[in-house]
Amino acid sequence: MAASVETLPAMESDEAVRARQQQRTVGLAIFAALALGALVAAHDVPDWMDSGIQKWTQDRYQWSVLNRQSSKVFTWVFNPIADVLTWAVENTESILLALRWPGVIALVGVIGWRTGGMRAAIAGAVALFGVGVIANWDLAMRTLAIMIVAVLIALLIGVPLGILTSRSDRIERLVRVLLDTAQVMPIFVYFSPATILFGIKFPPAVVVTVIYALPPAVRLTNLGLRQVPIVVNEVGQSFGATSLQQLLKVQLPMARRTILLGLNQVIMMAFAVVVLASLLGTGDLGQDVLSGLQKQEVGKAFAAGLGIVLMAVALDRISTGEKSTRHSRLATQLPTVSSRTAAMVAVGIPVLAVVVARLAGASLFPTSLQFNIATVIDDAVQWVQENLRKGVPIIGGTQAISDFITLYLLDPLRDFLLWLPWLLVIVLMALAGWLSKGWRLSVTIALCLGLIATMGYDNKTLLWDHAMDTLSQVLVAIVISIAIALPLGMWAGRSDRVERALRPFLDAAQVLPQFVYLIPVVFLFSVGRAAGVVACVIYAVPPCIRLTSLGMREVPFAPREAAISFGATGGQEMRNVQLPLARKAILLGINQTMMMVLATVIIAALIGAGGLGLLAYRATAKPQIDFGLGTAGGLSIVLLAIMLDRLTQAWGTRSDTHRGT
Amino acid sequence: MTSIRRKGRLAIAGVLIASVLAACGDDSKSSNGGGTTSGPAITLAVNPWTGSAVNAYVAKAVIEGSLGVPVEIIDIDENATWLGLDDGTIDATLEVWPSGHAADYETYITGKQTVVDLGKLGPQAKIGWYVPKFVIDAHPELATWEGFKDPELAKLFATAESGELGQFTMGDPSYVTYDEQIIENIGLPLKYVVAGSEAALLTAIDQSIADQKPLLMQFWKPHWKSARVELVEVALPAITPECEASLAASDGLFACDYPIDELYKAASAGLATKNAAVFKMLSAMQLTTEQQSEIGSFIDGDKMTPGDAAKKWVDANPDVWQAWLA
Repeated sequence: MAASVETLPAMESDEAVRARQQQRTVGLAIFAALALGALVAAHDVPDWMDSGIQKWTQDRYQWSVLNRQSSKVFTWVFNPIADVLTWAVENTESILLALRWPGVIALVGVIGWRTGGMRAAIAGAVALFGVGVIANWDLAMRTLAIMIVAVLIALLIGVPLGILTSRSDRIERLVRVLLDTAQVMPIFVYFSPATILFGIKFPPAVVVTVIYALPPAVRLTNLGLRQVPIVVNEVGQSFGATSLQQLLKVQLPMARRTILLGLNQVIMMAFAVVVLASLLGTGDLGQDVLSGLQKQEVGKAFAAGLGIVLMAVALDRISTGEKSTRHSRLATQLPTVSSRTAAMVAVGIPVLAVVVARLAGASLFPTSLQFNIATVIDDAVQWVQENLRKGVPIIGGTQAISDFITLYLLDPLRDFLLWLPWLLVIVLMALAGWLSKGWRLSVTIALCLGLIATMGYDNKTLLWDHAMDTLSQVLVAIVISIAIALPLGMWAGRSDRVERALRPFLDAAQVLPQFVYLIPVVFLFSVGRAAGVVACVIYAVPPCIRLTSLGMREVPFAPREAAISFGATGGQEMRNVQLPLARKAILLGINQTMMMVLATVIIAALIGAGGLGLLAYRATAKPQIDFGLGTAGGLSIVLLAIMLDRLTQAWGTRSDTHRGT
Repeated sequence: MTSIRRKGRLAIAGVLIASVLAACGDDSKSSNGGGTTSGPAITLAVNPWTGSAVNAYVAKAVIEGSLGVPVEIIDIDENATWLGLDDGTIDATLEVWPSGHAADYETYITGKQTVVDLGKLGPQAKIGWYVPKFVIDAHPELATWEGFKDPELAKLFATAESGELGQFTMGDPSYVTYDEQIIENIGLPLKYVVAGSEAALLTAIDQSIADQKPLLMQFWKPHWKSARVELVEVALPAITPECEASLAASDGLFACDYPIDELYKAASAGLATKNAAVFKMLSAMQLTTEQQSEIGSFIDGDKMTPGDAAKKWVDANPDVWQAWLA
């Protein structure tokens, strides 16, 4: 029954079918010829392919180092920007500190109350209170100040850019490529240029955070505006609204919900970056995470990391901006609070909190309320390290898993990719693109891989070889992630209880700075590529579970009920009805998994994964020597990401055309 | 729609009023070290290791206590430190390991002259090849590089990553490394693997000791870890004139031991005019390896804050730091 959904008889004339078959034969013949050519050509990327991009980048870097005091670009553009950013962060921080902790918590509560009702108010305030309990409040306020400035700038640039992209498909395509590239580029590639251009401390930290936080702002503003029905626009026009009026009075208000979702995503992205930014001297909560790691104090790093998570949760709750439906339904029945009372509460509570706090001299978060979770975490980590490595029944422990991943998955795949002549890799991947979607995709893929071939050498090793190493790790990590996430996602999609039980773990795994679990992962899985794969999997599994579950839940109830009334068992119904119908969402989940894996390649490099991630890290580690090399490595990661992204997206749309009825 | 906008306005009004209120009579800033203040604050860099914090906080205690100048400490990455010195955002850094910063020295100190060399700090550091002590106890021949020529012995260090060869583990790629050259030029059956970070390397040490599984790595002293676990340096071939020439030419033919690192101090060129007294004091400042590790043990062992640890030592040893002010 469901099978018929998949293979609906084609409604094509014989001629069309024949033409298509012919096209297919020609295409295959072309690829076969290309493959033959690839076999005859050199096995390795030839020297003349080296574009010299490394030297070019290194020279630009060196020029900036030498001219950052004298060039007008610096004195007229970058230095003033840096001054403004420093001013903004410092003032935001001193306001937050002057409000004292009760004042900040009361403010967050009131903002939550206005945007999301009582529930959001309590959730936001409690989460922020928790920050003070487990982490250093003053450092947290500095993190918050950086976040606030970065998020505001991201919105200030992102919303207008989103409006612009919603008006023109061409601009949208261009902006999307730029933003995708900027976001997939490993953060370590940005650090050195950001410090050269903007100095140290707050300005480069804000700039780097904005780079990562900007894409969701643009994307969701664009999406929100494009979703406004044409009819609505026409009504506005017929009433004689100018296009500006229409934008401000009709489109933006109607797109408000989606734009707010964008704000939420902006905040989450910004929190993901904030830990690393403390390398630049911001001295905020991220510093505690990094120094905890340096001294192997996992508990301390974890406590600070959890503080960052709680802050993210607080801002998430108060920025989601929609009251739960139950709440709003209740609100219409209950006598509504008069606007004057609301005003008094909204202004009164924070004011009262600040006054009381200052009179009581509550400048520091009271130590009596603080709870040292570091020791608890340290004990837990200790237990995990002592008990999971060896002697676990059947699987043998994490060390055995690690060896298995290296010897039987990573090594064979990497060796195979390196054994293939480089041109043959390109031809085969292009063939996959052609079969998935057509010539266009095929060319895109060939172009991405071809550009990687022009990236030159790392000492005596071709960047191409590093790319194949990284590709093998990425593929293994994706397969393992999907193998874990799909069953869990399906389960969560069919059971509310499972969904609820998983949610806190998924939230934490996504926002918790990846650094905090580096040490346990290394201890359990040893330094090397396998540990890197595990780190990628931990990070990539949550979004995949979430999207799979969501896809399962969005399947309309009618076809499922029909299947059951025809006597299908629960399992049959899931396999044959729910899963096929949720396919698009699940494929989107796989696409997201892949992007997450690629984003983690750089973190994996810090625990021994090597490959392109390590090259990109060297842009920060030894910029005077390796900045060009690091940039080439980072660009190669971007190219791999674009290739894999387009390919999996093609699978998503293809499943549509197949099912198109 | 209006109700939404009103709510928004209310929230904004609340924020504004509360902030104005908070800002009135703000007393939380404006305090500093103590004593009479003279001149703008001095910024000292702390890089992420204990020794660096020891130097900076000792200097802070002396400068604030005796010169009455407020000192700010900034925790920052090594490479970013040089850019801070270059533009004057950072006034001085008190522990640079020369081996890792030859290019920076050339660019900023000899080239642009925006940074000045403040002279030696005192401690000598040594990068080299290290193994946990139990390895030498079981196989004394591994105390020198020649022991590693034996493939059977080298294989003790094999992992899934290194296959048939022994694994040589390198930590953070920002540190100077000749290990790949040494392995290749001497011809040892070892495979060079980059752990990627100091944290990963330290964890590998713990793992090795927990399992009594041999580990060969690039490490260095002084390091706080060597107070907790016993690490033994493997003797590499003594430095020859050829090796020195190869270092200078960076021709990839290096096959000797690492040179000794004479740690030095560096300041922003502007410091001499910004505060001559501080400049003079920092130039004269020196600590011995013993002094540095004593203060370091207050921090790592007794869990004192760097500030308290430095103060404790400064209070107990006035004769040492008073010489810096003479």
